[in-house]
Amino acid sequence: MHFSPPAYLDPGSGSFLIQILIAALLGIGVAVRASWGRIKKLLGKGQADEPTDDDADANQ
Amino acid sequence: MTMPTPTSDSLGASFRDPGGFLFSRGGTLYRQVNRACADDYSRLMESGLYGKLVKAGLLVAHAEADVPPADASLAHKIIQPERVPFISYPYEWSFSQWKDAALATLSIQKRALKAGMSLKDASAYNIQFVRGKPILIDTLSFEIYREGKPWDAYRQFCQHFLAPLALMARVDIRLGQLLRVHIDGIPLDLASRLLPFRTRLDFGLLAHIHLHASAQTRYADADVKRTGASASRRGMSKNAFIGLVGSLEVAVKKLAWKPAGTEWGNYYAITNYSDSAFAHKKEIISGWLKKIAPASVWDLGANNGEFSRLASASGIPTIAWDIDPSAVEQNYLRVKAEKEQNLLPLALDLTNPSPALGWANAERDSLGQRGPAEAVFALALIHHLAISNNVPLPRLADFFAGLCRWLVIEWVPKSDSQVQKLLRSRKDIFDGYTREGFESAFGARFHVREAVDVDQSDRRMYLLERKN
Repeated sequence: MHFSPPAYLDPGSGSFLIQILIAALLGIGVAVRASWGRIKKLLGKGQADEPTDDDADANQ
Repeated sequence: MTMPTPTSDSLGASFRDPGGFLFSRGGTLYRQVNRACADDYSRLMESGLYGKLVKAGLLVAHAEADVPPADASLAHKIIQPERVPFISYPYEWSFSQWKDAALATLSIQKRALKAGMSLKDASAYNIQFVRGKPILIDTLSFEIYREGKPWDAYRQFCQHFLAPLALMARVDIRLGQLLRVHIDGIPLDLASRLLPFRTRLDFGLLAHIHLHASAQTRYADADVKRTGASASRRGMSKNAFIGLVGSLEVAVKKLAWKPAGTEWGNYYAITNYSDSAFAHKKEIISGWLKKIAPASVWDLGANNGEFSRLASASGIPTIAWDIDPSAVEQNYLRVKAEKEQNLLPLALDLTNPSPALGWANAERDSLGQRGPAEAVFALALIHHLAISNNVPLPRLADFFAGLCRWLVIEWVPKSDSQVQKLLRSRKDIFDGYTREGFESAFGARFHVREAVDVDQSDRRMYLLERKN
């Protein structure tokens, strides 16, 4: 896997490591939701796709 | 990597990122894009991300400019960003402004990830309020996303957004002021110590503040390049990255603050203003605004912006400053609800205004450096400064003369019940606080262009123009 050193911000050793741990945990949730979406799609149920953020304005 | 050579006209806050920097020339603001981030810039423009973000009102628009670079040895391109009318700082924002700035940052990051990019920084100072909404002003904050690489700006996001919002919501609204001391955001160990124990029951705050702070202490001396490389060999997948950003978003959204018992909350109900006096005061100000047609107005001590709106509603870019976080919050919520474009509510303690801060005191400008405004309103304000804060009238006149050309000021005499209230618990040492004293002090710095007694009140309104 390609890894390049941090850019101009120092991400901080502890921040870097805890982030990977927390994100790994949260990533499982994202993967499960994505697969569940695909299964439902295969079965012809539910929405065709995940709702997209592009038009939802979080900036409100 | 080479750092950009500072040029005589490069901006004081723009030196950290080797990707480029801001400079001004002939009164126009430009951003130099360095070759170091040429690929990142091209991807931003060509992937459609730039267009989408500008359309969504989340990123400042720019045009490529055909002007000589400020530092030719590094330059890739020069761009001219749309000018932001006023630069405000997070320690001047109300809770909801800060929260909306955080959510705008995360929304940008989510859109960037979809376009194969990522934010390389998440600084609250990169967000500004333009036409009532938060917008990213740093075009060079984007880098090409590489699968496996964690988010370099994670710590910065937690320090600049999550920690202050959590402290304001869960401990005390005034803790947002900590950013005036900790310019790069609130240290997470400090946030963790100040937050009540029960915040550990909230997954977002537990993970992103408490555990994050512990990890920082524990691994303070770890070699991030080595540990990071071994950790990223296992990889931080894109799903993990998306999960992290989503979790930060949930944590921010859950934080709420309701302005309780505002200092001026029902101010207009308790002043000794009758409805007709109030209407007369508005009429006087509106008339003067038509006459002087200022290009900008700062309303100092604006409360919830009642009088500021006389200016902003007629299209004048107006800033409504007040010391009370609740008043600023209510004002911002109204700006948002009514989609007002010309009014920016901000928090400020006039007895100790925002100073110049940061490296060489040149990264954040003081209040005065961000002025002058063409017109300043000082309505029902003078007694708070002259009596509560003991500022002599001539010094007040000097202060206002440094901030504006036109001053719309309300004289509040000692006989006024609001002044009597301030004097109730202290000795009256303010012999000079008289109308004659006021006119003489302000007359030294300003011409009196008009003066009108407010109907059914002891107060008097003055339209003053600064002497050159």
